[in-house]
Parts: sequence; C-alpha cells; structure tokens
Amino acid sequence: MQQIDFKLNNEIKVHLIKNDKYKTDLLALFLTVPLQRENITKNALIPIVLKRGCNKLKTQNEINEKLEEMYGAVFDAGLDKTGDNLIIKFYLESINDNFLPGDNQNIEKAIELITNIVFEPLIENGSFIKEFVDSEKNNLKVIIESKKDNKDRYALDRCINSIYGDNGYGLSKLGYIEDFESIDEKNLYQEYLKLIKNSKIDFFISGNFDEEKISIKVKSLENNSLLNNREEIFKKNDFREEKKEKTDEIKEIKEKMDVTQGKLVIGLDILPNNLGDYRFIAAMYNTILGDGANSKLFQNVREKAGLAYTAKSNYIIQKNNIFIRCGIEIDNYNKAVDIIKEQLEDIKNGNFSDDDIENGKKYIVSGIKSIYEEQDTEIIFSYGQEISPIPVTPEEYKDRIKKVTKEQIVEFAQNICINTIYFITDKNI
Amino acid sequence: MQIIENNLIKEKVYIEKLENGMTLMCIPKKGISKKYIIIGVNYGSNDNKFEVDGQKIEIPEGVAHYLEHKMFEQENGRNSLDVLSSLGVNANAFTTNDLTAYLFGCTDNFYEAMDELFDYVQSPYFTDENVEKERGIIRQEIQMYKDEPQTEVYMNALRAMYKNIALRDDIAGTVESIEKIDKDTLYKCYNNFYTPENMTVVVSGDFVPEEIFKEIKSRIKTDKKVMTAKKIKEKEPEEINQEKIETKMDISTPIFIIGYKDKVPDKEIVKRHISVEILLEIMVGNSSELYKELYEGGLIHYELGTNYEFSADYAFCMIQGQTCDVETVTKRVKEKIDEIIKNGISEEEFDRIKKKIYGFYVRDFDSVETVANTFLIDHLKGINAFDYFEEFLSLTKEYVEKVGREVFDSENMILSVVNPK
Repeated sequence: MQQIDFKLNNEIKVHLIKNDKYKTDLLALFLTVPLQRENITKNALIPIVLKRGCNKLKTQNEINEKLEEMYGAVFDAGLDKTGDNLIIKFYLESINDNFLPGDNQNIEKAIELITNIVFEPLIENGSFIKEFVDSEKNNLKVIIESKKDNKDRYALDRCINSIYGDNGYGLSKLGYIEDFESIDEKNLYQEYLKLIKNSKIDFFISGNFDEEKISIKVKSLENNSLLNNREEIFKKNDFREEKKEKTDEIKEIKEKMDVTQGKLVIGLDILPNNLGDYRFIAAMYNTILGDGANSKLFQNVREKAGLAYTAKSNYIIQKNNIFIRCGIEIDNYNKAVDIIKEQLEDIKNGNFSDDDIENGKKYIVSGIKSIYEEQDTEIIFSYGQEISPIPVTPEEYKDRIKKVTKEQIVEFAQNICINTIYFITDKNI
Repeated sequence: MQIIENNLIKEKVYIEKLENGMTLMCIPKKGISKKYIIIGVNYGSNDNKFEVDGQKIEIPEGVAHYLEHKMFEQENGRNSLDVLSSLGVNANAFTTNDLTAYLFGCTDNFYEAMDELFDYVQSPYFTDENVEKERGIIRQEIQMYKDEPQTEVYMNALRAMYKNIALRDDIAGTVESIEKIDKDTLYKCYNNFYTPENMTVVVSGDFVPEEIFKEIKSRIKTDKKVMTAKKIKEKEPEEINQEKIETKMDISTPIFIIGYKDKVPDKEIVKRHISVEILLEIMVGNSSELYKELYEGGLIHYELGTNYEFSADYAFCMIQGQTCDVETVTKRVKEKIDEIIKNGISEEEFDRIKKKIYGFYVRDFDSVETVANTFLIDHLKGINAFDYFEEFLSLTKEYVEKVGREVFDSENMILSVVNPK
C-alpha cells in the first residue's frame, strides 16, 4: 500500500491509496461541515437531491444506466456524525479493468461520474429542480419517521439526544420534518453553494491505477468555477476540549413502546483526567468493559447471568463517551443495570487480570492490522486521522495500545461516570 | 487434488476429498495478510426429522442453532470462543436453514486458533447445567428478532409459500420449542450429523494449498467414515400455502414482500439463478421503468430489494420494499412482471444488466470471508462458485425469457405485509 496526499488549488484534498489487492476501485468524496440545527435538514436533503440527476446525466435513470454499463458500479450517498461535525459521504465502487473483458477505463469513468454528480448539479434558473426537491422531501420524511422502526438503534439515538439536547452531536443527522415547510428548490441550492464553499472536502481514490493519469484526471476539478474561492469553516474535534462535568444524579429515562425485548442503553461520561493523550487507555478500557467475547459485559451479563444475547460497549473518541447497549427481558431491568454497574466498579477497583489486558491488546491490534484488508476501512481510518487534532499512523496506534498499563486503566476508570440510563420497555417498571 | 481455474477473474480453487468423506477447499490469495477458515456442517434448522437404524426421530425447532451455541463449551471448563478471542482472532458461528458453520478470520495466530477450532468442533461437551445456562441467552436472541419488522415480513412470506417444510420455522426456534431441548437432544444431533462426510472445510488467504491441507488433516480426529443419519424430507406441494399474510407492528410505514414459489429445479440451477437475477433487475431494478414510476410517484422511497434462494428442498424469489400504498405498489409490480413475461426483454437491457451482474460476481472475490463462504454454500448445493462465470457467457435472452415464464407464474405468487398498528 502506498498513499499519496496532495491539495488541489481549490483546497480539495486528494488521497491516492494505491494497491493491487482488490478487484474493485473505490472512490469516496467526503464533505465535512459543523453540525448545526439551522441547516441540518437541508444538508440531509442535498445528497439525495444530487442523486436525482446532474448536468451531464439529467435523470436518476440515466445515472443508473451509466452505472450498469460500467459493469455494475455502485454509487451511494450517506450521512454520518463525527463528534460535532456532519460528514456527507459519496461513494462510487467500480470493478478494476484488470478483471474485465476489453479496455474499459472504468476508474476514469468513475471519477468523472462522481465529480459530476457532486459538483455539477442540474440547475434551472439558479435553483435545483423543484420536482426533485419536492419528491426527496417526501422520501426523507418517510425515512425520518421510520427511525423508530429499528428499536435498538432508536434507543441509542434517544440516549445521545438526552445527553446533548438538540444541538451538535445530539442532533438527528437526518434532520427534522418541521423544517420542510421552509425549504424550497431555491434556498436548498443556496445552501448547497454554501456547503461546497465552506466544507472540508476530501477525495479518496483507492485501487490499482496509474497515479499520474489519475492525478491529471482529478486536477480537472480545478476548472470548476463552483469550487473557486473556497473557505473551509470546519473545526477539528478535539477530545481534550470536550470537558465533561460530573453530574450529581444519574438521569434515568424509560420510554414505553411496543417491544418484545427491552432495549437498554447506558451513556457514560469520560471526565477530565491527568492522563494526557488518553485515547489509547480509553480504547483499552472500552475493550475490557464491552468489546468482544472476553469483555466483562459479554462474560457477566450474557455468559454468567444469561440475561442478554447482545451486551457490548462503544467508545466515541470525539465526545468522551462510552455507550453500553443490551437487549434484555423487560423484567430483568434492575438485575441487568446492577450487573453492569458492578462491572464498572470492578474495573475501578482493578478487578481484572493481566490476561484481560493482554486479550484486549491483541483484540485491538488485530483490528488495526485488518485496516489494510478492506478498502473502505482503510479510507475511514485515513479520514479519521485527517480530522483528528493528533493524527496517528496504524503503526503508532498499535505501539500506543501495547504500552497501556493496568495502573493507567484503573486510574482512567476513576473518572468514568454514568450520565444517562435509557430503557425502552412495554410497561411501567 | 482437483484444481479449477478461472482466467477472467484470475482465481483458482483447490479441492481435495479425504477418505473419511470430508471435503477440503482452498482459494489462495497471494499477498493478503488476512486468513480465514470456515467449517461447514451439512445440517441446518430445516433438518428436524431424520432416520437412524430405521427409527424415525423428530426433534424440536431450533436444535441446530442451540447446538451451534453449545459447541464452544469444553470439558476443561473453557469456552472456545473466549480462547479464540484471547488469540486476537475474530471467531464466530452461524446456523442457516441448510447448514451450521464455525469460522474465524485473523492476521496472526492462525495455526494456534486452528487447533482450537478443530478441537471444539470435534469434541462436544454438553451437561444439564451448561445447556440450561444457554436457554436465557437464546431466548433473548429470539426476542430480539421478534422486534425486527424485516424478520416478521420475511418469515411470513416463507409461511405463505410453504405448507410443510421447516423453512416455515424460525432458525432459532421459539421460546416454547427451545424449552424441550436438553443435552441428549444435542448429543443425538451431533453424533448423527457432525460426521466427516457431512463436513466441508474452506480456507482463503495467503496459503500454499498442499501445506494448508496437510495442516488441516493433522487436526482431524478420525480418518474413518462414520454413518450419517438420513434426513427425512417433508413432502412439499408445488402450490403456495396461502396468498397473503398481513400482520401489525409498531412501525411507521408498511413493509411488504412479494414472493414467487419456484419448483425445485433438478438441472441447470446456476443458469436459472442468473436468469432470475437478470429478470428481477429488468422488472424492478433501479434502472427499470417501474422503479422510475414508483419512485417519482412518491410510492417508494428507495430501491426495492430482490433475491432468489434455493437448495435441494426449496427455491423462491422475493421482491421487498416499504410503501404507504401497498395495494397500488403490489398491483403495479404484478402487472409489470406479467407484461415483461408476455412481451419479453430487449437486447439492450439484457446486455446492460448482464454487465451489472457480472460486476457483482467479481466483487464477491475481493474478501477472503465472502469468497470462502460462497464456495462453502455453493458446494453444499452441489455447485461451484466459478460455474456462475462459465454459465454467464453462454446465457441467451431466450433462455432467460423461458425461465421467466416458469418462475413468475401468478398462481405461485404470495404477499406478506407488515402494517403499522
């Protein structure tokens, strides 16, 4: 693997990740902007409106036929929250020419297509096409309403929202139905222009290609006048500035829904500590607590008590949170919460073995080694460092993990506290 | 050792059948640091009735899956999943209607992990206590699926299509059926089905086939053939069970599946599979007229999902989606299908969709996990993943149209809907 990064004269950052391990070439175009209540719904609408047609291929049908002609290339757009930023993601995956009959120039076509869709939208009288905007508002409304259909994911979103409220990380990335009325093809296009002007733009190209040819191809973006005079207002998420305060009382929220199984989410705060760049200690803490089959949650909530099928935790670096998630029998709520609290106390008191630490290290290191085995993971890791205030290479990451000690984990654990317990139940308990 | 090569995608598969009946397969991937191994047992949730020494045995729903959970338990008190995780490998297991599989993938410690994998799959240790302990966990797994609208609409589609075979039942069983499972049930199924001839081992990664096969053989406990129980196949009529199943859940917008029950094909199954995939794309895929009509009309909000599944006991295809107007959407889908079956497909779309599907097949060869899983599943169906590339080249528009007339018969169509409460 060989990575070459360079900037175009319009500040778009290109990352060429070259290797011959895959049969596909993957392009990823990420637009990063701060999460803000006033434009979140518009930002959620923009990618799905862009998918409807561009200047060269004016309908979704033409785009889809073009993708099919390219031996089933796949285009997709999505949204992600990373700390206080929203990332609007566009992906295009196509088959590498080496595995196709004839000379196709598939990757060149792919670069042209994805940049056309994102940077050369279909415009009429200085606005988006009314029909596209109206129908995508209707689609997004249905998707927003469907959020509660996945109860497990819904519980996590509700827990996050109860911690952060309706701003920054607490916002719903899909936006809000009440905003729809004020959005039209004109003001949505204006928002698009702002997005193009102010977002941080990263263009990842992963696969087996001739870097000179590809660089020239990408540089043609410098001729797009929409991309002139760009000024990025993006701010890196710094975990060191995300200072949590100890809350006196644990928030306990129970929401009644029609469920067979109770969905339990516990949001933990990582309070300020004296451990410096503690991201690696936090990752080890989280692994020992709830990541993988050797973790305390898996062993105690699932294997010993038989209370759950899933019992796990996730570490959210940018926001200094850890979220615990379990699906449990509704009547076992108190029992499960007690066992989970015991696990948190156990780590605080150093009740875990050297084996637990070794297992945790192997688990994380093996995950880091796998980064190079998947195109998408490789891109996501690289992008993660791009927006991190203290970037690390996978090698550094592994070394830092290997150096974490038990004392550090125990010290780190002293500054972990429960912020919110969120439970979806079908009855009052 | 048999070697099959595909020049188009530049891959080879090495196959060896051992004297004890076990099949080994290796798809080498040079320069890839990830290694993956999967042991597949030709025994799944559908195999609830079988015959041993002339005696018929019927077991509760969910045994194959329960067995999968309990295989990790070892006599020395260790749990193999913990041991494998301690080695830093990514271990797992799964049960489908047709098979049970045990697997792991890793970048380091492959051979140590392989010791553990072969050890636990070949040495069951069930006690009243450890079987009892698992019941709560499996109960929660079943409850989790009950809250998933997608599972509900899918299972009801199968129930509408099938009258008798166990495809109707949840793979994990029910909260009630798993109460009837004890250690004797598990041993009975293990001893009768976890036999060498019922097992296939597939590896993919940077391996020399001869060497990895030698490593595998040194970990196999018996070189003799062992009797495998005879599965009793339920008779399944060609007709559907019922036209429509509708239920309610706490969701926002209705979801639906339109299904076509296909007769179990006895030949040219790969060609049939590709043909149905091409037809489904032309009928409802995202470049189809119908997709355009429904999407632009605000009736669907993203593309319709499609699939064709088959084994020696069943074959069916499904079209699924979410809509606020199930009646209009399903009516239009049916009309469009009938129209295409009647009028045929155009050369232009046939060629374009063929290219699309070719690309999807190539993609499957990118990850060691997908490639090994695909070879395993296809092997149990008596086919080989490369067959798809071979058959692809010779497939004609006329053949695809003929398959279309057989599969998309409105007599064999069912509808499953989950509505909001």
